[in-house]
Amino acid sequence: MRQKTLFPYLLILPSLLLICLVSLYPALYSLFLSLNTFRRGERIFVGLRNFEQIIASANFWESLRHTAVYGVLFVLLTMLFAFVLAVVLNRRLPYTALFMTIIFVPWMLSEVVTGVIFRWLFLPGYGLMQDWLSPLFGDITFLGHPQGAMGVVIGATIWRTIAFAMLLILAGLQTIPGEVYEAAAIDGANEWQSFWQITWPLVRPTTLVIVLLLTLQAINATGLFLSITNGGPGRATEVLSVSMYREAILFFNFGYGAALAVLMLLINIVLALVYIRTMRSEVVA
Amino acid sequence: MTATTSAPPRMRSWSIFSRRHRTNTLLIVALTVISLVVIFPVLYAIFTSFRPKGFGLSRDWLAGGIYLGHYEQLFGTIRFLRQIFNSLVMSLGGAVVTTVAAAMSGYAFARFAFRGRTLLLALFLGVLMLPGLTNLIPLYKIASDLQLRDTYVIMIVIYAAYGVPFGTWVMMGFFKSIPVALEEAAEVDGATPFQAFWRVVLPISAPGLIAVFITNFVYNWNDFLTALVMLSSTAMKTAMVGLFDFQNQLTGNNNELLIAACVLIMLPGVILFILFRDTFLRGMLEGALKG
Repeated sequence: MRQKTLFPYLLILPSLLLICLVSLYPALYSLFLSLNTFRRGERIFVGLRNFEQIIASANFWESLRHTAVYGVLFVLLTMLFAFVLAVVLNRRLPYTALFMTIIFVPWMLSEVVTGVIFRWLFLPGYGLMQDWLSPLFGDITFLGHPQGAMGVVIGATIWRTIAFAMLLILAGLQTIPGEVYEAAAIDGANEWQSFWQITWPLVRPTTLVIVLLLTLQAINATGLFLSITNGGPGRATEVLSVSMYREAILFFNFGYGAALAVLMLLINIVLALVYIRTMRSEVVA
Repeated sequence: MTATTSAPPRMRSWSIFSRRHRTNTLLIVALTVISLVVIFPVLYAIFTSFRPKGFGLSRDWLAGGIYLGHYEQLFGTIRFLRQIFNSLVMSLGGAVVTTVAAAMSGYAFARFAFRGRTLLLALFLGVLMLPGLTNLIPLYKIASDLQLRDTYVIMIVIYAAYGVPFGTWVMMGFFKSIPVALEEAAEVDGATPFQAFWRVVLPISAPGLIAVFITNFVYNWNDFLTALVMLSSTAMKTAMVGLFDFQNQLTGNNNELLIAACVLIMLPGVILFILFRDTFLRGMLEGALKG
């Protein structure tokens, strides 16, 4: 560490300005907006009325329920598949690098590109996946069916995210030294036993961290919903973020939308604090 | 004699090897199937983009033959080219500003003790956890009030700011790995701290700078939500927002053309990932598992 009086501050200034302008000030401004309502360009202070309206609105609880269903299914299934993939890829089989590259391609696609492809695969009546998969699900038209449409979005999210979750689990697995397994093998443990006795207890903290990260991602997921279902059919896939976007940007309900944003920000901050605590206590220690 | 005594263990080790070998072969087959399933939607999209209009849904895979017309049409569509150009300007602009700003602040955090360092670092990392989503409404309002919607400036500033916390984190780690003796030697030779940073440290920091630049470029290129909210005039929209509009305009009309546009738009991210795979993977790990 070196000591210079002004130089480090000058170096930080551009970054700090950008962060204040685009992240901090807007976060505070949305707090202010959430206490107001806008009619024909006029700002009227309403106190907590927006929040009262949100709590009283059936639509809010419905979209909260959609977010929860989406989040729970997405996180559980992603973790399950990613874990299996990571354990297999950790065996350092031939072609592992090639498999990794292929599995990571969806992570590099944008939400809209993913949306276009999935809507094409599940095009009502004609899409390839619509044809192939609908016999397994009682011949429903996926995108026209409340649970079906949610299923498609969850599937698309898993498809895009699995590589990311797998990479993090793999990183956790690789911190376990190989000697531990060799010692267990000498003591006569089979692979199944050494997974549950050695691998799982050691990667459980990492798993917790990834679950939190994915949960944060699930709460804020917006783009895939907009591009695959646009909240439909009806409002069956309208999650919190989509209803925030609708209220504020499409209906110019800035106050109400900002109040929703503040609520979502609170959920995010709480989860982020839990995340940071888990990182500190479990992974680093 | 020695050959007969050593024979049994060798045989046993061979049998263990062969069992493991068989499991590995099975796993490689399983991984191949999984990889094919994962990549299938992308390959199917590429395949669809080469089918003539109206043939995309035909299960007769060869019907209509290979058709390049959609790509020709896209390269002749001014609006499409303009939106690709917008995406390039905004993504590159944002990535350049992020890289410069993050290199500077990363260097400050890596090398200097100054009052407020811990607090500022916590602020940078805290912002990294904030979702961009909840800022969209206030940013939209601010940009509208300042009449900055539909401009390159606002998009470049937003993208630059979104990239700064993570970029700072990566660059800080990178600078810490460079021996401080280099700068000290330069300063003994009479260089100012700025010259030491600019002439000595930055030139050997290319790998870190490239990592920050490329990951941010792809992130900006793929951004949808910010662009959707901030841009409303057709001439200023990015390729992603253009694609979204296109998708909603012509349901069931010219799907093959839509898919071709989608394939062109996904290419930069996919190609850069394949070329710089390790850079991306390392960046992802550092971004997610910071202490």
